[in-house]
Amino acid sequence: MKKQIFEGFGEESYVLATMPNGLEIYIMEKPQYSSSYAIYGTRYGSIDTRFSKDGGEMLTVPEGIAHYLEHKLFEGEDGDAFSKYAKTGASANAFTSFDRTCYLFSCSDNFYENLDILLSFVQAPYFTPENVEKEQGIIGQEIRMYDDNPGWRVMFNLLKGMYHNHPVRIDIAGTVESIAQIDAPLLYKCYETFYNPSNMFICLVGNIDTDKTLKQIEKSIIDKPAVEITRGEFQEPQTIVKPYVEQCLAVNTPMFCLGFKQKINSPHRRLKSKICVDLLLQIICGDASPLYARLMNEGLINDDFDSEYFNGNGYAAVIFEGESCDPERVAQEIKAEISRLREEGVNKKLFSAVKCAMYGDLVRRFNSVENLAMSLTECAMCGYSLFDEIKMVKSVSYDDVMKRFDIFDNDNAVLSVIKPLED
Amino acid sequence: MSAKITKLSNGAEGVFIKNDRFNTTSISFNFYVPLQKETAAEYALLPFVMTTCSKDYPDFSALNFKLAKLYGANLSASAEKVGDFQMLKIAISTIDDRFALDNESLCDSATELLTQLIFEPKAENGAFCEEDVAREKRKAIEHIRGDLAQKRIYAKKRLIEEMYKGEAYGVAKCGTEEDVEKITGQSLFAAWQKLLSTAFLRVNVISRSMPQGLFDKISEKFESITRENIVDCTYSAPTKAIDKPNTVIEQMDIAQGKLCMGFSSELYGEDAAALTVMCDIFGGGPYSRLFTNVREKYSLCYYCASGAVKSKGLITVDSGIEKENATKAEKEILNQLDIMKQNLFTDEEFQSSIKSITDSFKSYNDSQGLLDAWYSLKIVKDKLISPEEAVQEILNVTRNDVVYTARGVKLHTVYKLLPNDKEVGK
Repeated sequence: MKKQIFEGFGEESYVLATMPNGLEIYIMEKPQYSSSYAIYGTRYGSIDTRFSKDGGEMLTVPEGIAHYLEHKLFEGEDGDAFSKYAKTGASANAFTSFDRTCYLFSCSDNFYENLDILLSFVQAPYFTPENVEKEQGIIGQEIRMYDDNPGWRVMFNLLKGMYHNHPVRIDIAGTVESIAQIDAPLLYKCYETFYNPSNMFICLVGNIDTDKTLKQIEKSIIDKPAVEITRGEFQEPQTIVKPYVEQCLAVNTPMFCLGFKQKINSPHRRLKSKICVDLLLQIICGDASPLYARLMNEGLINDDFDSEYFNGNGYAAVIFEGESCDPERVAQEIKAEISRLREEGVNKKLFSAVKCAMYGDLVRRFNSVENLAMSLTECAMCGYSLFDEIKMVKSVSYDDVMKRFDIFDNDNAVLSVIKPLED
Repeated sequence: MSAKITKLSNGAEGVFIKNDRFNTTSISFNFYVPLQKETAAEYALLPFVMTTCSKDYPDFSALNFKLAKLYGANLSASAEKVGDFQMLKIAISTIDDRFALDNESLCDSATELLTQLIFEPKAENGAFCEEDVAREKRKAIEHIRGDLAQKRIYAKKRLIEEMYKGEAYGVAKCGTEEDVEKITGQSLFAAWQKLLSTAFLRVNVISRSMPQGLFDKISEKFESITRENIVDCTYSAPTKAIDKPNTVIEQMDIAQGKLCMGFSSELYGEDAAALTVMCDIFGGGPYSRLFTNVREKYSLCYYCASGAVKSKGLITVDSGIEKENATKAEKEILNQLDIMKQNLFTDEEFQSSIKSITDSFKSYNDSQGLLDAWYSLKIVKDKLISPEEAVQEILNVTRNDVVYTARGVKLHTVYKLLPNDKEVGK
């Protein structure tokens, strides 16, 4: 097993061990803590609907299958994982996002026993026609629950307005119709492709012993030859589908998402570009910015207003979201402010203040075993080290950030609005 | 880990929770006032106005700029319902001085800022600035109206309103839209004065070392304020059992329905550990009766969970249901409660629950947020209960205690939010 030690911030350090089969194991000891946090993840999410394994034929699978698989993996031949965790007292969960599926637990006692449960059930799929069929009802209800969630709808309506073909436009859980096509053989196909050690990672943080943990993992991992995964390319034009999308739901105040689709030439996510865009967003509309003050004082936004750099394999966009009595006016104001800053430049004092704030946020992250485990997951997905961000934030220059204005193209902007139902 | 109380003034105390695992220092001011229809909106607005500006930082851009320079110090405000009381929280968290890049004393600056926000607000001639008040009123109203967008929260709120009509606990934690509308700069200033003179105050500090002089400084600030008729927030009235449960049904343009049920419990009070365990076996974790039966075995809902408010002797169940399953789900939830009463739950369920609750309490010392919530929600006369002590209380609960507690639980109100018959969202 290959081991690398990363040190970089105060006394903090972690180990990245890579097994010969490709499994990456990140371990950060926090001996002064009472609890621990574990994540076992695969680089497989809702957007991986077209793929081939080991150079075989390109397969297209139903939307929502990664999330379906996550649900089903909890159910083993010898009972479900939750009932095993119930004996140890751990709190367990899982999630599927666009690009990853993660199984996790947190606990104060019985860490090694819990790790055994996690390693066992993720490696022991048990899909039968009956148990796959049974899940349709529960996931169908989950999908319907999201249909009533305006915060979720406003976001996916935006993605549908921005993306023609890329599967990021589809709900992570799929649709009632798409999940009806899922059966046990399909689930096994996806499992055998993406749940291979070479495509997976384990992130552990807390009151744990690195050597003991690595030995336990080495013993438990079922060795499999590495697979070669080819992910389907999506013919995604650089243009948007339509500039405005609207839906009516039971809300009192309209909700909005304003997205700027970014033209991308490479699927790689660069840390520097992420940090620069995050800083730029704070400068444009963070709570110390002139735009934020104006929108707030004019009654156009409230504390729900936020912005993010949304990016992954084959997609990238800047998104502003919130509640407003006049979403179109907010969109105009944001666009006008971007043009103004692009021409006039950014207040250097504000630039240095938002840099300070971002550094503080990164220091804060080391307080929580959960945040650290999640951050290590990000490292596993994007290939950078936990300490790179802090170093990068310190070194980013004013000019670096100014260059990022190029991602805003008004021709590629989409406004998604949820309006109240009419009586 | 240790927590120590220091008396700051009449009815005002500081609690220092020494914890050396964090990179940050967290300080929170928690004011407790009676929850009343007449004052709820005004008190709830105060922390928000007080955290947007102060004498030295007259607008929120200046204040937020200062916070960013303090390495993104987190300043937060909230109003919560704690039994029959409102808890108004103003808190700041800042990274420790040892991480400052220019050797600044961040902790001193943060405590200075926080005390100024609380004791020296931006006000003139006995009134807060109308512009600030108007902005925060507008946000508060949007926040109240925003509950409708989150159906799970909305349904639970409606259940509580129905259960506690005319009682303190039935008052919304941030008041009503109409009450917010009535607030003026002057009335809010009067509420601030009353808050400082009558509210019970607990200041929580969680850090590796006590910020120098902070408690003395707060004591000094109080010297010029007459502290009298201090609120006693250690007792809330228990939920009254009723003979004939109420059912309330509302319809809305939604895809999925919500079913909420409220129960009274004969056992109540902050020290009612058996109620915590009983409620957890009933509908806490994935090992609970409600999860394994109502959701997993019978597929009657996507989620179905119970929660207890110990000070009120209240148990609530909330679930997401399809309209056609509403009656079946309701019956099955009651059936599961009967199983608890008849001592028919398994030993495994009992043990799972004890393990899960104690495991979770043990992790509280790993989070400043959880510790702050713990010490601000556990308001019991003259003593501090630590998470470690609470673990022991849970371990002392027996199976018999759980059955006995379950037998004192009685259905009070059923609230259903159901989809209209027409299609939605088109």
